[in-house]
Amino acid sequence: MGIYSLSFKNLKRRKLRSALTMLGIIIGVATLVLLMGAGTGMQSYMKEQTETMMGDISIYNRSGGAYMGSTMDSYLDQKTVSQIKNMSQLYDIKEETTFTTEMNRTPLYVIGLSNWDQVKFNGTPGVVIDQSLVDKFGYKIGSTITIKEKDFTVTGITKETTGMGMGIVFLDVDRAVPLNDNKVTSISASARGDPETVKKEVESQVSGVTAMTQSDFTKQIDDLMNGIMLFIGAIASIGLIVGVISIVNIMLVNVTERTREIGVLKAIGFTNREVLGSILMEAGLLGFIGAMVGLILAAILLQLGIILFGAQLGMEDVSLTYMLPAWLVLAVVGGATLLSVLAGLYPAWRASRLNVVEALRYD
Amino acid sequence: MTDILKVKEVWKTYKMGAEEINALQGVDFKLEEKAFLAVMGPSGSGKSTLLHLAGILDLPTRGEVFLEGKKITELSSKEQAHLRRTEIGFVFQRFNLLSQLTAEENVMLPMINPDKKKARELLDRVGLEGKYDRLPTQLSGGEEQRVAIARSLANDPLLILADEPTGELDTANSQMIMELLTDLNAEGMSVIIVTHDPMAAEYAHKTVQMRDGKILG
Repeated sequence: MGIYSLSFKNLKRRKLRSALTMLGIIIGVATLVLLMGAGTGMQSYMKEQTETMMGDISIYNRSGGAYMGSTMDSYLDQKTVSQIKNMSQLYDIKEETTFTTEMNRTPLYVIGLSNWDQVKFNGTPGVVIDQSLVDKFGYKIGSTITIKEKDFTVTGITKETTGMGMGIVFLDVDRAVPLNDNKVTSISASARGDPETVKKEVESQVSGVTAMTQSDFTKQIDDLMNGIMLFIGAIASIGLIVGVISIVNIMLVNVTERTREIGVLKAIGFTNREVLGSILMEAGLLGFIGAMVGLILAAILLQLGIILFGAQLGMEDVSLTYMLPAWLVLAVVGGATLLSVLAGLYPAWRASRLNVVEALRYD
Repeated sequence: MTDILKVKEVWKTYKMGAEEINALQGVDFKLEEKAFLAVMGPSGSGKSTLLHLAGILDLPTRGEVFLEGKKITELSSKEQAHLRRTEIGFVFQRFNLLSQLTAEENVMLPMINPDKKKARELLDRVGLEGKYDRLPTQLSGGEEQRVAIARSLANDPLLILADEPTGELDTANSQMIMELLTDLNAEGMSVIIVTHDPMAAEYAHKTVQMRDGKILG
């Protein structure tokens, strides 16, 4: 029985009060971890996808590349493609083409991929369609669908969605390119030698193209996500700050209520520093326990999120370890505990400075 | 015999707004080893203030207090706290047990080396066998004061300071507490009690009267 185990007892003494104070921290930490976790998860998932799906270098039309709804000028034409394919610095060249079209008045987003097997849609030479087309036209595996007057067999159905009312069709790039007037959206390739050097060679030797290395991509992802996370983090921290302020408040109430008790502690020989320490410990415990509960709550919600929405976002194989890296857990729990200890500083200082004789007279 | 406590020409002045109150006005006294002293006097006579100075809960405005030959005004607040913890046992009128702790935990709290066995022995000694796990709310006033006495003995002090130890107890419990203090004194501890109660004062070897911040006679 020492003065520091008293801190635990004091939390238990006022269970409701402690729980309500912790609730502020719990909500703050849970929000912060939830948002930061989702952001971190997305960031590392995107980076990993970039690394596994992409070659060392990706090449686009200089206009910035062709995406959904682009004009024909933003593609790479056949001449450019063959120029790129002839470069000795590049090997393992993969093309990709994407374009939009219509089928029975329904807009379609067609994606031609060369790493067909990596996407895990079995059944080449068919096509994979998304659930919205299944719902709309009653297609099933084995049905025939017609894209730009060509017939294809449906061999797979994906849960992935554009979320914009557009159907998605995946097919092998070799059959997709002729459908898109022999134009290619991007080429990715492995580089012989330093990707940065090869990138510059590609850009100088082939006119009208821009090239990006994997690190350009990861840097772009980092820039984008770090900006978003900083913003989200700042907003979510407000909740935590409110929680910390409630610790200052409640510790002041506790210290005032326990004035006589603090007088007794000093009278029986505890030093000012020990009294200060025990109050700081109590505040820190409020923060630490609150942060742990908040963290567990956030982890449960994130896992639920993966189970419920992972497939729709094309992230079904993302796991909690992506979302809750050790640095995030340590930073949030450590940060919340530290802030709580700081919140206890003023109340603890007041307690340690109490005049013993006056404190002993306090009712 | 050596003096445990020496109070030399001590003044204690409080400020109440603009007014200055002299709680002690040049008090001199000595406490020998193994003494049992009762301090009596009306409210406001300065007897509690004197006890607070003796227990280093407060410091004199003027004059010197020596505890075991150490000048308390020259000690750091940490050294003062250490002396309070190891050499002095306090017993208060209102018991002042920590309500969230059991009897045993209250006794262990001040121990330099927490020792459950010793805490139980001390509780046995004050007649609370088997009540180790009771909370203060589950004890009678007399029992609470006995826990408080056990707590004051946690670090084997030289000096027990009791401020109106029987002030909130009935006659039977008051006698029991005074007998306990007498036993402790017989075992070698010096005891000072501040009291209004003539029955309590009779247990002491010596009684001094205080009035208006001075010791009479």
